[in-house]
Amino acid sequence: MVVGILVALMLLVVAAVPVAAILGILSFGLDSMYFGGRLTPAIGEFVWDKSKEFILVAVPMFILLGEIMLRAGIAARMYNAVAQWLVWLPGGLMHANIGSCAIFAASSGSSVATAATVGTVAYPQIERRAYNERLFLGSLAAGGTLGILIPPSINLILYGLLTDSSVPELYLAGIIPGVILSTLFMAAIVVACLWRREWGGARIETNWRDRIRTLPDLVPPIMLFVVVVGSIYAGLATPTEAASVGVCFALILSASTGTLKLSMLREAFEGTMRTTAMIMLIILAAVFLNFVLGFIGVTQAMINFMAELGLTPLEFMILLVIFYLILGMFMETLSMMLTTVPVIFPIVVQMGFDPVWFGVMITVLMETALITPPIGVNLYVVHGIRARGGKFNDVAYGSLPFVVSMLVMVALLIAYEDLALYLPTLVYR
Amino acid sequence: MLERIHLTLEWISRRAVWIGGAALLIAAIMVTLDVLSRKFLNVTMSGADEISGYVFAAGTTWAYSYCLLHRANIRIDALYNFMPRWLCAVLDTVAVVLLLIYNGMLAYRGYGAFAESWAKDSVSITTLATPQWIPQLLWASGLIFFELVLVFVFLYTMVGLLRGDLDLVKRIAGVPSVAEEIEAETHGMNLQTQTGARED
Repeated sequence: MVVGILVALMLLVVAAVPVAAILGILSFGLDSMYFGGRLTPAIGEFVWDKSKEFILVAVPMFILLGEIMLRAGIAARMYNAVAQWLVWLPGGLMHANIGSCAIFAASSGSSVATAATVGTVAYPQIERRAYNERLFLGSLAAGGTLGILIPPSINLILYGLLTDSSVPELYLAGIIPGVILSTLFMAAIVVACLWRREWGGARIETNWRDRIRTLPDLVPPIMLFVVVVGSIYAGLATPTEAASVGVCFALILSASTGTLKLSMLREAFEGTMRTTAMIMLIILAAVFLNFVLGFIGVTQAMINFMAELGLTPLEFMILLVIFYLILGMFMETLSMMLTTVPVIFPIVVQMGFDPVWFGVMITVLMETALITPPIGVNLYVVHGIRARGGKFNDVAYGSLPFVVSMLVMVALLIAYEDLALYLPTLVYR
Repeated sequence: MLERIHLTLEWISRRAVWIGGAALLIAAIMVTLDVLSRKFLNVTMSGADEISGYVFAAGTTWAYSYCLLHRANIRIDALYNFMPRWLCAVLDTVAVVLLLIYNGMLAYRGYGAFAESWAKDSVSITTLATPQWIPQLLWASGLIFFELVLVFVFLYTMVGLLRGDLDLVKRIAGVPSVAEEIEAETHGMNLQTQTGARED
């Protein structure tokens, strides 16, 4: 029976059926097999209750916030300002790629938007300053993935929803790993450019006057971060409220740069609602499947099965990491999280891992999935902005050093749980 | 004729998305005012959170059609990209049918939830005491409109399949190419995007 379901599921996935339809129809099927279809009629009330939940409103709000920021025309100036501070490192502007992505990530939840925006600004520099194209493109693809780790992160909200974990705690937990991972990315660039000096491109001269002069260009994104994330921790606002405040801040910012127009808002609305609908269709189906699975007791069966295997928590976690690395090569990240977490999470907790810690862990693994071929959304995005064209493999190879950085991050998280848990413990526990 | 309907449905869904987005923006402003007045005036205006929940629920269901017509539903295309064109077209049609089945159940039961609130005069257990049928009507009608659009897209792809017009099927129900996806994520930003990674 279970094998049959899994085979059917695999077939549907291979057949490129919309993920939401797979999850929804699977839950109807399981319901009719186990309960004679008694749960399915409840789907109307169930989905209604979930879709008006205030915490979920944070999802479209953060998307809208990102859409407005994207169009507020701050990317180029921000990139230039970050560059002034980081170009002295071996690897020059590649550090600005990572830095700008990290800062942009603090106002955007979409890794695609982050990579595309910073990438478009940075791309012409490859030729102008004779950088190694592969590594440069890789730094853009990898930098973009920071969007889902550094708060505000839409993925962490969804994880919180699926696992009943606190979103503010998850956000706090993402900060230190986000900074460390950015540093590891930069370290990868430094190592590569010390090994092959010519990869690092032509030197860029800068001075303290320029550094200070461009500093104000960094103020808007940093202020936004402080307003949004700060208000959550000061206890002033829930994540949804903070996101709403952020939207208003972004509106004011866009008015100040003269980009606030009706046409711009319409585009922002279209982008927001498109992404929201795309995510919610899957989420609601996943939550309903979760509800049906709970009744069947699949979770308990999985826990018993794992107990019989007699793995230690460490062995289990290493297996899980390998599982996600392989899955991430072939699956789009959001659906990967939404389909696996409901089943895997209870086992993780049973094994004694902290739910908030695992949220950060799985986010780093999803970042890896974004830049591992053949299916890595950020690889496609960065490849797509190459005005001069080239081989897709260039981006994939260039991202490899950063995959190594991510694996180091995973190992660090396993070895030192506190990297994720220090801040949440300090504030909340 | 079919093309006219397709364009009309797109026109309607685009307006729905604008209204949904604008409502969301207004909700954001309301919630912000609520936060500010709570902090600085010590006045709590209740209701902003509840209303934004309704806006979100209804706005989302009305955006499903837009998402479908712009082929933005998430599908795992690891193998899809290596399949022959005719098979892709068949899978595109299957995808629409399965979504139609899932949403059919959701829309039917969603309507049921609305009908029950209407019959029982249910109100929310909050200071607003919102009659539940009002937001539920907006929400369920979005699901029903989505179902109608799904039925239409299904018929249109069937016509394409029967005529052997694979381009038509791809245009209305296929998985978008990378270049199209990037364009959709960043449109209006004047990014110069060129070739996609996948063959198109």
